[in-house]
Amino acid sequence: MSKVLVVEDDEQTLAEIVEALTDHGCTVEAARTGRDGLVLAVANAYDAIVLDRMLTGGLEGLGMLAALRSAGVLTPVLILSALSAVDERVRGLRAGGDDYLTKPFEFIELTARLDALMRRREAGPSVQEYQVGPLRVDPLKREVTRAGRPVPLLPREYRLLEYLIQHQGQVVSRTMLFEAVWDYRLDERTNVIDVHISRLRKKLDPDGSSPMIDTVRGSGYMLHAPD
Amino acid sequence: MHLTELHRTTGFRLATLFLALFGVVAMLLFGYLYHEITGFEQERIDDWLKREHAELIREDPSELVVRFKHQDLLDPRQQRPFALFGTDGKHLAGGNPGDRPPIPQFDRPFSMRLENLPKRPPGRCIAAHLADDRVALQCQNTRELDHFDEELLHALISTALLTLVLGLIGASLIGISTMRRLDAVTASIEEIVAGNLSRRLPMHSKHDDVDRLVGVVNGMLDEIERLMHEVKGVCDAIAHDLRTPLTRMLAGLERAQRRTMTEPEYRAVIDETILETSGLLRTFNALLRISEIESGVRRQGFTSVNLAAVADDVFEFYEPTAEDKRIVFELTRPAIAPPDMQGDPNLLFEALANLVENAVKFAPQNGHVRVTLFSDANSFGVTISDDGPGIATTERRAVLRRFYRGEASRHAPGSGLGLSLASAVAGMHGMSIQFNDVATGCEVTFFRPVER
Repeated sequence: MSKVLVVEDDEQTLAEIVEALTDHGCTVEAARTGRDGLVLAVANAYDAIVLDRMLTGGLEGLGMLAALRSAGVLTPVLILSALSAVDERVRGLRAGGDDYLTKPFEFIELTARLDALMRRREAGPSVQEYQVGPLRVDPLKREVTRAGRPVPLLPREYRLLEYLIQHQGQVVSRTMLFEAVWDYRLDERTNVIDVHISRLRKKLDPDGSSPMIDTVRGSGYMLHAPD
Repeated sequence: MHLTELHRTTGFRLATLFLALFGVVAMLLFGYLYHEITGFEQERIDDWLKREHAELIREDPSELVVRFKHQDLLDPRQQRPFALFGTDGKHLAGGNPGDRPPIPQFDRPFSMRLENLPKRPPGRCIAAHLADDRVALQCQNTRELDHFDEELLHALISTALLTLVLGLIGASLIGISTMRRLDAVTASIEEIVAGNLSRRLPMHSKHDDVDRLVGVVNGMLDEIERLMHEVKGVCDAIAHDLRTPLTRMLAGLERAQRRTMTEPEYRAVIDETILETSGLLRTFNALLRISEIESGVRRQGFTSVNLAAVADDVFEFYEPTAEDKRIVFELTRPAIAPPDMQGDPNLLFEALANLVENAVKFAPQNGHVRVTLFSDANSFGVTISDDGPGIATTERRAVLRRFYRGEASRHAPGSGLGLSLASAVAGMHGMSIQFNDVATGCEVTFFRPVER
């Protein structure tokens, strides 16, 4: 079970985040100021930290993050902010944040991104081969086979599949996919990704075989071994 | 403004200032003239006196009594009274009876009152010691001259008074006229402040400085009114666009409340509500983002970006969608790649994506969509054309407004925000969106002039 620290000064937002993360199966601890958050983060080993960018009372989000990093704590940090401007995001990431989410956000997006952050830490060095059920992916040759039969993919489709495989069994939101595969940050109009996914599906799941990519309503996709 | 505040008006102040200046100049001028005229008269008299004096000295003193008497006879009005006085100061002859008056100086003209004449007129005199110790006093009665001086002074004062009165009346009229005009302008402004935005400041046909100002202000008011209407239009559109999903949501929730439902049915209602709510949230986010982009906050996040690369990605992103509609989807690149520019790749992607998405959305099944990159000496950019219904010439400006849905697209899905966002992004990158005149379909160019 993952242990997550949430640093947020708004009571209601905090309560909602704690609830969403608890529902997601995380153990959650909360701090209402940057100072408290810093003390907790340094003293305990968390799997991830959700940090509000704007904190009242002395130490604000980026300040706390900088202090945390200089104390040698490398826990992945997801920054929450009401500021959506690109340079704000860049500043947040430069200060040592690992991901950035603009308020208001959907909680499924938050949990999906947190999962990705925690998984990233677990993932070891480059994998020789991915295997999910009958699906085999060779990242070096970029070759994909299902049950021994080669699946010809376009480069973009391959990257899409690779990302889904790297996060297998996890919900991946459309914006995350878009960021990882297309290298653009876009919060709107990502429904077009559905079309790409459906193409990928057609290639992955030839007639009669059970589907490997599930659509998670309202949020994104999940790749798993066929039932 | 009240009449009591007339003196505060610029017109009145200027007019009185000029009146005062004119008065001072006129006074100086008249003073100088007065001085010159009186001086000239006195000099003439003095010249004459000196001539008479010289003549007198040359004459035989014994004949003087006769001569003076004769002179007196010739001068009944006693304009030039000459008198001869004995050594004892007694009057001997001539038109200046009585004892010899005190004489301040001899052989040089001086002024004195002619005490012994009726009404004691002023005079200019010259006195001479004769060889036999008698004294001759030759005078010129200057009463008429003084009269003239007085008349001159009177004329001056009355003219000055008249000028003052006329000037003040004029100043008041000017003041009142400017006050009236300003009152009218003020009243109009107050009405506008009170909310009547269609009101304009009154314009005279004088084409003067105030009219110029009024013209500029009226132009500004036109612009403000247009913006207000636009804001109102946006508000109405938001209200309208958000009312529909909210109504749907409410209906669903009320249905769930009314009926006894199974768990899966409740789930369906909740899912529906979540879907509608996140749709609403997305609309609001899009609106906020457009404002943010329009205010140019994002400009700080600019990096070097090539439009061709972005266009490639957009094209590739929409390829499957186009293929699903069996649209012939083509990308044409120029021989020379467009130059790198400073920009936000995410926003450029979004703007181009909106344009391409529209083209793919409105092109018919089996239609055509062309994405053409171009780069020449004057500009570089992307042209996107489709063979859909197109945009009416009259709607080309309006489609860039928030929530505006063209006639042809009223029933197509979408938020009505895509083109406004593209236009905002273009604006912040120094680019433009232009709809070209084509026979069929729609052709839109997203371009940037080349900096020289």
